[in-house]
Amino acid sequence: MAILGIPILEDKYPVTMDMWPLEAKEFNRVHQFYENLKAGKFTTTRCRTCGHVAYPPRVICPECYSDELEWVELPKRGRVINFTEEVRGVPLGFESPLIHAWIDLGEGSPIKRILSRVINCPVGKLKEGSEVQLVVFEVPSHPIEVKGGEMRWAERVFFAFEPVEK
Amino acid sequence: MARRACIIAGGMCKWGVREASLVDMVQEAAKECLEDIPGLKPKDIDGFLFASSYAGRCSFQVNTAPVMAERLGLKPTSICARVDVLCAGGSTGILLAKGLVESGMADIVMVAGGEKLYTPQKWEVFYSELASIDHDWDAPHGLGLPPPFFALIAKEHMKHYGTTKEQMAWVSVTNYNYGSENPKAQFQKKLTLEEALGAPPVVPPLTLYDCCPITDGAAAVIIAEESRAKDLTDRPLVYIRGGAQASLHSVSANWPGEHLADWAHLRVAAKRAYESAGVGPEDIDVAQTHDCFSISQIIEVEELGFCKKGEGGSFIESGQTRIGGKIPLNTDGGLLSCGHPFGATGIRQAIEIMRQLQGRARFQVEGAEIGLTHNLSGLNVEHTIVIYGREPK
Repeated sequence: MAILGIPILEDKYPVTMDMWPLEAKEFNRVHQFYENLKAGKFTTTRCRTCGHVAYPPRVICPECYSDELEWVELPKRGRVINFTEEVRGVPLGFESPLIHAWIDLGEGSPIKRILSRVINCPVGKLKEGSEVQLVVFEVPSHPIEVKGGEMRWAERVFFAFEPVEK
Repeated sequence: MARRACIIAGGMCKWGVREASLVDMVQEAAKECLEDIPGLKPKDIDGFLFASSYAGRCSFQVNTAPVMAERLGLKPTSICARVDVLCAGGSTGILLAKGLVESGMADIVMVAGGEKLYTPQKWEVFYSELASIDHDWDAPHGLGLPPPFFALIAKEHMKHYGTTKEQMAWVSVTNYNYGSENPKAQFQKKLTLEEALGAPPVVPPLTLYDCCPITDGAAAVIIAEESRAKDLTDRPLVYIRGGAQASLHSVSANWPGEHLADWAHLRVAAKRAYESAGVGPEDIDVAQTHDCFSISQIIEVEELGFCKKGEGGSFIESGQTRIGGKIPLNTDGGLLSCGHPFGATGIRQAIEIMRQLQGRARFQVEGAEIGLTHNLSGLNVEHTIVIYGREPK
């Protein structure tokens, strides 16, 4: 089925061959991460047994293998340690400029650094030390076959960071 | 007496943009491999490992080992399996073959590798590369094509250690000039410093010759138990002395170093590989490092212990990685010139080290006795090292 404007779904690929996660609860036990994103929260899992915070979120604690996990919030602001700006050769599904930043989430964060796409940002704006914030956006949705052969439409979101100063 | 594994033969097809399928190229490579050791027949080979990561995606073929074995006339009875470690698949196959041979499970193993990456429409080639990294957490940021991440690494190395664009260009110039006489390389081009510095940008600070290309290709080697190797060849034996593979993270947020130019995972792999081979960096006479980008080779010479941390740029600029220098590197052209069909790259590297230690390389390092190969894989998430020697450990 063709969805205009979204090349990867314009009859070129089934959804299992695109770069967005299968986020629906039918396919993903950390689907709560995406529900939290929809509510504007950047989260991951913490172990109730040993207290370890892991990113990305898990089904088991990678330290003690407990499956007693809970959701905790991560900082939604950080500072750019370094960044790159790609103008040409941007892969299908992304727009030019494709900007990436290695971001310091701060001393208080259980996850110190993250490598993220930076959007809503022209080339030349970002500097080392620039403050950036979480931004959540919709990505292509897809149908899921549910019981009885019915189709349910799965909405998807993902995140990037954007400059705090517009 | 302990069983020991030797590398006794190798061959590869022409690498580049090929008018051929994956099974075609693997046959070409295997033919050259067996022609390298006239006494060996397909029926003598009891094990087969095939390194390929993109067969499932670009050729819509999984369970590739029996497919390839059949085309090559092999009937393996000890092992017949595919290895998927992306850029290090070939080296991983060689480490696994060493274990199989030394444990007594196998006697003579062919380790082959190959990728057919150019699909009928070019956009699909680049799109497919998005599968090479952690799907749910890094791919959605558009990090599947590696130049942005390695550009970030280059900027960090420049910031922390003062590495220059000219030092990066020296990596490309040196490796291209070795590759210019390698008929199997994707590019046979002599590159000048001026050309390298004046090349069009990819992702700043990386320009065209800082980046290895996308490549179709295949390669194959034979790993044999020592007594069988002695029966099959009069050439000097080359032993697989040791090696290691370290994987400390997958998602970029869990990067193990202090900063992106600090490759702690490579140091861990190097320490363990040197221990397993009973040698140190000062003992290595010739090496093949994973020059997927010029900056990679600069950091690799540091983390492998060939020079001090932060001095990789000046070490290369001063000619220490050329023949006659402290540690000649990538004497067949490396990834930059030969290209990089992921699963085949470690096998190409092994072939060059074997030839160097047997004294029959195109650009020979006189008296080379100990050689090393190194690969990184994916978004710099795994490091693989194999150490070869004229003497066993």
